[in-house]
Amino acid sequence: MLTIPRPLTLADIPAHTSNLENGQKLYNAGGCHSCHLPAKGSTIDKEIPAGGAPLHTPVGTLYPPNLTPDAETGLGQWTDVEFVNAMQKGIGRDGGHIIPAFPYTSYAHMTVEDVLDIKAYLATLPAIKNAVPAHEVFALPIVRRGLGAWKYLGLDETKTVTDKTQSDGWNRGKYLVDGAGHCNECHTPRTVFMTMNTSKYLAGGPHPEGEGKVPSLINLVGREKYKDAKDLASALQFGEMMGYSRLSSGGMGKVQTNMSKLPEADVLAIAEYLTSLK
Amino acid sequence: MINKFSTILAATVLGLSLTAGVASAGAVDDAIKARKACMKANGGAMGVMVPMMQGAKPYDAAAVGTAVAAIEAACAGWDGWWAPETAKGEAEVTKAKAEIWSDAAGFKAASAAYSAALTGVKGAADEAAFKTAFGAFGGTCKSCHEAYRMPSE
Repeated sequence: MLTIPRPLTLADIPAHTSNLENGQKLYNAGGCHSCHLPAKGSTIDKEIPAGGAPLHTPVGTLYPPNLTPDAETGLGQWTDVEFVNAMQKGIGRDGGHIIPAFPYTSYAHMTVEDVLDIKAYLATLPAIKNAVPAHEVFALPIVRRGLGAWKYLGLDETKTVTDKTQSDGWNRGKYLVDGAGHCNECHTPRTVFMTMNTSKYLAGGPHPEGEGKVPSLINLVGREKYKDAKDLASALQFGEMMGYSRLSSGGMGKVQTNMSKLPEADVLAIAEYLTSLK
Repeated sequence: MINKFSTILAATVLGLSLTAGVASAGAVDDAIKARKACMKANGGAMGVMVPMMQGAKPYDAAAVGTAVAAIEAACAGWDGWWAPETAKGEAEVTKAKAEIWSDAAGFKAASAAYSAALTGVKGAADEAAFKTAFGAFGGTCKSCHEAYRMPSE
């Protein structure tokens, strides 16, 4: 299960006819835009994931890259293998390890087909030429090397398995929560090695950017945070527009905006799965 | 002698500054308490208006008026509750983010947008107008909380 990732080769990529609608759905479920948006004050349409806005992390300031199909500064020349390696193995186009602020540890649980659909959707966006600044991380080459060892502990590549004793909605919800949605990245606390503390799955913890505390998602109904799954789904769909005041702070506002773009069935599935956690 | 004098002086100065500290801590906690009471009034008013938005309860213009008036009463004085010392209370914990002070102009603009949206809800002539106005009002809650409030359990 826990192995140093071997880069995928062409032979690992299944034959797949891309589904753009599915790609867009997963793009929103993943909230790709929230980190890959253009910098404040840039003239680029802020809805386009052309990259460049700074992301402040404990290791330094990162500049998430341009996801538009521009050949020079975006993903235009990326092959399917390169894209899947980045998304699910944390291996960059240059073969180096990617800093896990990019949540490949979650995306690793997705199906390769879904990852390819995201790539196909990104290819339909306008190609924007936007070279982003280099990451500002102390001793970056050493950090990148160290990440190889970190992945041995921190990258679990197990695909989400269907639990036949649960409903389709529950399974869909789990798939979105653990994979594209990467809820774990903030809602599951980390160990001293900065890997997921899986014994405290979605149980909340310190905020990764130092903004107070990330709430627990366990027993949301029993703790009277929400009335039932439908209430939570409505909260994720409408947020404060309907008076649900818990979903704005600490970056969750952006997540909720992304969730509001998902089909209702997917939001209900996420809520069904989350409210089942005890 | 000089030593004794300076000890007394130091003790007096320390005593004075402690007293001043306690007094201002009280004022800080009062401001934080007032802010919380205002937010609580907002929560209460939401409890009245959201069911109307969701269609769980019929639209009731008088109840909307009462809910808005409760917010206005609890929040009068808002602009005076954000002195820099109120970033952290002694007795009262606050979820206010540092950005309220580092981006004071942005916070002021967000407060003004909220007030305008609240006036919009108050002035809505019918159910359709109320629903539109309430959507805008909720949007100002969301955008301000996104930028200026810390998450919590």
